[in-house]
Amino acid sequence: MKKIIFCFIIASLVFGETKKWDAHSAYLLPQKRWEMGLFQPFRYGYSETIEYSVHPLWFFVMPNFSLKKSQSDFAGFTSASQYKIVYPTPFLNMIAKEGIMGIIAPDFQMPPMLGLSASWLMSKNMSGVDLTLKGGLDLGFAFGDLDTRSTIDLPLVYHRLGVYYNNWGFHTGLDVQKNISEKIGVLVDADLRLLPGLNGNYSLEHKLLLSWHKSENFRVLTGYKFVMGEYPYGSDMRLLPYIPIFETWVPMIEFQWARKKQ
Amino acid sequence: MKKLLSILGVLLLGCDPFVTEFEDLSNALMYEADSKSNETYDSGNVKVVTWNIRFGIARFPFFGDSCGDDVILDDDTIEKNMAAIADSLNAIDADIVLLQEVDVSSKRTGYMDQVQYLLDNTNLNYGCYASMWKADYIASDGIGRIDAGNAILSKYELTDAERIQLRLRTDQDGLTQYFYLRRNIVKAKIPALTQGAKDFYAVDIHATAFATDDTKQQHIDKYVETLAEIQSSGNYFVTGGDLNSVPPGSEFDYCLLDMCPDEKYEDENGNEIDYHSIDSLTSGPHKEGAYFNNFDGERDILLPLYEAYDAAIDSVDANLPIHLTHGPSTSYEMNDIKYDRKLDYLFTNGIWENTLSKTHQAAWELSDHLPVSAVLNVGGE
Repeated sequence: MKKIIFCFIIASLVFGETKKWDAHSAYLLPQKRWEMGLFQPFRYGYSETIEYSVHPLWFFVMPNFSLKKSQSDFAGFTSASQYKIVYPTPFLNMIAKEGIMGIIAPDFQMPPMLGLSASWLMSKNMSGVDLTLKGGLDLGFAFGDLDTRSTIDLPLVYHRLGVYYNNWGFHTGLDVQKNISEKIGVLVDADLRLLPGLNGNYSLEHKLLLSWHKSENFRVLTGYKFVMGEYPYGSDMRLLPYIPIFETWVPMIEFQWARKKQ
Repeated sequence: MKKLLSILGVLLLGCDPFVTEFEDLSNALMYEADSKSNETYDSGNVKVVTWNIRFGIARFPFFGDSCGDDVILDDDTIEKNMAAIADSLNAIDADIVLLQEVDVSSKRTGYMDQVQYLLDNTNLNYGCYASMWKADYIASDGIGRIDAGNAILSKYELTDAERIQLRLRTDQDGLTQYFYLRRNIVKAKIPALTQGAKDFYAVDIHATAFATDDTKQQHIDKYVETLAEIQSSGNYFVTGGDLNSVPPGSEFDYCLLDMCPDEKYEDENGNEIDYHSIDSLTSGPHKEGAYFNNFDGERDILLPLYEAYDAAIDSVDANLPIHLTHGPSTSYEMNDIKYDRKLDYLFTNGIWENTLSKTHQAAWELSDHLPVSAVLNVGGE
């Protein structure tokens, strides 16, 4: 069960930042509409100005909550602020173990940790292309002795958890989305994470996804994610999803569903 | 089009293997000291040492090879241990150093490049390295990223360095084998030591420790074959390493000595069984790496080497207490044993100055293996 949860969480990091249905734009979900995917969090339009999201499976091992609030338009861009809170300690202690799936050495007991993130998002449609700019500050608090040897030095993971070792960091990014037909859309994004002072202080993630909108309530996505960055052992890059034993990249496939609560 | 090709190139680079596998024969990775000492060989004897340095963790109770349960040592202690190893090598003042279990980019040792460190902190100038375990991530026991292997260091320039793959274990399932060690022999030419028309080679090996099938026999056979090729070509070699084999006539069962408190043997179905009793040596089950009679002939597996070449410590003396080279890292704390068997050897097809061969047992705190050194009588027949 732990293996399944871990694989799911890793997959979620790859799949979890698709845009429209607008997860990472400044646009909010319509009131009472919910969306979720195999690997995406559950999102809900609470009101015309507030949307919240939570990853239901993660929640039991890594409690998390995110809130997006619409803001006044800025320079012609639709704007929103987003706030996230996450408590990763239970999950990290699950994988600090002996034997298979011991991702962190059992020497280490992970202390209580809290991650906070605040972002500003600005979106605009320009000549049929949806453009979103975003940026923000990440804070990580460890309430106890967090040993620097307990890092997980893997793409996607190292820099997301790096904020707990560095206490703070920045993130910024750009999303571009265009519908190339009534049913088919394409999304390209790039996200930069900076952790000034950390040994392995940046990562750049890029994603390209094609989406097929079967209806308002269901769509399928496929594509890749590319990650490059600096790690404690040096620079590295990886195309994801990657299957180690077969030593090959495979396209990601994601199914997403949506409904409007009556 | 160029842009597209560049993008494709970057994406393909992102597809480096997660676990590195090797061809039967490949190039070793070459090193040089940042600042080389001015060593030129003119004549005289050549001192050689072999040492399994246990990736600089000294007697740390590592989970994988002793009764410890720790995985990652702190950077300061690694640095201190490596400095002590460098000091020992400088004190021995060898011309050629054959190393086993050297980390060059491993989570467990703070990603220190230990080959480069030793070159930069000893009187050795050149090195070559061959990985035996290289993976982006070992998702077991928190090992994480790993790159560990064998290295040859030398005062004189190394050329034609080769990594010779040894057969993988066959007593593991496919998944375990994929993430497991790929042991090798590393071989390099040392042009400065050429004697007339005879080239001079250094050959370093780390044979399997834990296999319970015939993998060890395969490794020693490949080693013997590699040395025979050099010999039949009319060239010289010095060779050695951690053969993970005991000398002929040695004790061969260390199961009960190496057994950890309350440790049981686990069969393929996960059932726990007691190891054999001391008076039932052959019945098993045996502890991996502690029993040297897993197949017919294993107790005499090194005889072909002793018969064909000159051993730094000859077979008559090899089992004397002063020549023992290994004790698991926790055996001192558990049983007051610093070293109890010989696993590390030096051979040549030339001639050693036998009175100068030495097992450096004072270095027992720096690894679970001890260095063995010998002096080659260059030009001796």
